Amino acid sequence: MTNRLALLLPKRGEWQLALPLALFFILFFIAPLLLLVVISFYNDQLMTTAGTGQYISFFSDGLNLTVLWETLLLGVKATALSLFMGYPLAWFAARAKGRTQAFFLFVVVLPILTSVVVRTFAWVVILGRQGLINKTLMALGLASEPVRLLFSELGVVIVLAQVQMPLMVLPLMTTLQRIDPNFADASNALGAGAWRTFFKVTLPLSMPGIIAGCILVYAACVTAFVTHTLIGGVRLLYMPLFIFQQAMDLQNWPFAAAISVVFMISVLLIIALLVMLSRSSRAQIYG
Amino acid sequence: MSKKGMNRREVMGAGAALAALSALPFDAHSAEKLVAATFGGTWSEVHRKFLAPAFKKRTGAALTQAVMLATQQIAKLTAAKGGTPPFDVAILDEGPALNAIKLGLIEEYNPAKSPNFGKLLKPFQDKWGPSVTMQCIGIAYNPNKIKTPPTSWEDLWDPKYKGRVGITSLASTLGMAFLADINRLAGGNESSMDPAFKKLKTLLPNLAAVSANFGAHAGLFAQGEVDIGVQNFNFTQTLKSKGVPVEFVRVSSGTPAWRTSMHVVRNTGVSDLAHTYIDTHLTADLQTALQQEPYNVIPTNGGVPLCCLVKSQIAEKPSDLQKMVFFDWTKINAGRPDWTNAFNRQIRV
Repeated sequence: MTNRLALLLPKRGEWQLALPLALFFILFFIAPLLLLVVISFYNDQLMTTAGTGQYISFFSDGLNLTVLWETLLLGVKATALSLFMGYPLAWFAARAKGRTQAFFLFVVVLPILTSVVVRTFAWVVILGRQGLINKTLMALGLASEPVRLLFSELGVVIVLAQVQMPLMVLPLMTTLQRIDPNFADASNALGAGAWRTFFKVTLPLSMPGIIAGCILVYAACVTAFVTHTLIGGVRLLYMPLFIFQQAMDLQNWPFAAAISVVFMISVLLIIALLVMLSRSSRAQIYG
Repeated sequence: MSKKGMNRREVMGAGAALAALSALPFDAHSAEKLVAATFGGTWSEVHRKFLAPAFKKRTGAALTQAVMLATQQIAKLTAAKGGTPPFDVAILDEGPALNAIKLGLIEEYNPAKSPNFGKLLKPFQDKWGPSVTMQCIGIAYNPNKIKTPPTSWEDLWDPKYKGRVGITSLASTLGMAFLADINRLAGGNESSMDPAFKKLKTLLPNLAAVSANFGAHAGLFAQGEVDIGVQNFNFTQTLKSKGVPVEFVRVSSGTPAWRTSMHVVRNTGVSDLAHTYIDTHLTADLQTALQQEPYNVIPTNGGVPLCCLVKSQIAEKPSDLQKMVFFDWTKINAGRPDWTNAFNRQIRV
């Protein structure tokens, strides 16, 4: 038992290497987070009386719950679209050789090299009433009036799926590359068609990559303040803008802190669910 | 030092020296340095171009101007309360200014340190800080799409503008003043916004967009997302000077307006410099320069004759400025949290 434990723990002294990072996290992440939790337990704006008043007022208003639910749902939609479009891309990129693969990788990483504000503004130009899509639709006679894409949930989902795509494709690519091609060949040799091989062999084996990608994209999508605000506007209120509104416009820090805590816990629960899924899928594959 | 470069001890020593250096006060002449907040867009432009050189000429002190929204200024000052404030001069609209006073973030303005304070029109002299300008709102429209200039808020409700109207959230004074004014015209006052919300509900079919803040609001006009909507006089002129097809009209029911003031931050180490900075903004010379196109900053100094667009579009003479529609921002501040929630609820798609 002691031997096994000794194997699990890093060698004596090695843990000290993690000290600078740990200290950095404690100082700049854990401490502010604790402060946030403390502030959320004040009943009034000037932070004089402690209590759970902010949480009670959050949960007693239906609109707040709708905003929370729609934000969590938005993440599901955007993540699903991102996975649907990112999987084939990752599949081709993983199979490509040499320069072609380098090119794919470059295309995938390209969006990360520009600021999210710039990427989002580009989408404003594309989705707008006089934007690329609407001008094309009208020129082709497919629409007589501009279609509303900007300030619509559909627009937000499309933009989030593209903007966060690299977070989906990169882990997927790594997983797909590691799958032994002999598995697919064996499946073919045993008489399975291409689709059957995909659903029975490739897809289950790439599950860890899918789940890693989904966790990253989901967390990024539900907290994408810039994209929500610029593409969605205020008529589609999501949690990040709601928190900003309470903290900045109204200076109501305790309420803003409370809804931040509620939001954070909700997102963590969903991520925990995904992690559990990945454990069970791994258990299925590797028994 | 050895030829091979620094050894471990030397690296540690250099690091320690650097750390010691950075622990020193940021500027040894900190008494001669002023940090002033400014708004984005036209404001930061005129403050850099005109106010900064005039202030430096008068004092010789170093100056940093930082662009911050009113709400950001209040958040930063609140966070730093009790310690050294991150900046020395605040610039705020009427609502946020009253908030800052209530929260004890600014100090009383001392007219004895400001020779130009007395030259302001009376309503612009406040013991907490002088108004450096005034802002007013009306309707902005795209003259290429709308041939008959609108004349009243009612025009925004016109069925022919279905899906073409833009308004903005209550995050800005612009949005708040618009709501307060339609409330006033619907028979309400600052104690209750119910008439305004009832009226706003009937505007929903006409709305193309509700912007989250005034920066995004300008974008709506620039990108052609809206053809007509509520807008600030100065923002409209800024947009126009950038080539956006947009015109500003005042509404016939009276022009909603508010004061924009500058304040000396409490606990600043450079109160005298802060007073001089603000006083420089009150001088006739500076306000005359700021009134020229394309800036069109409305003067508050009674000795500055109105000219240019301010004269042709806003007011004939300085005393006319006092005849605009002003609101009780103490009451508006009190109601703001509830109205923001009500607004969220009502405009939700």
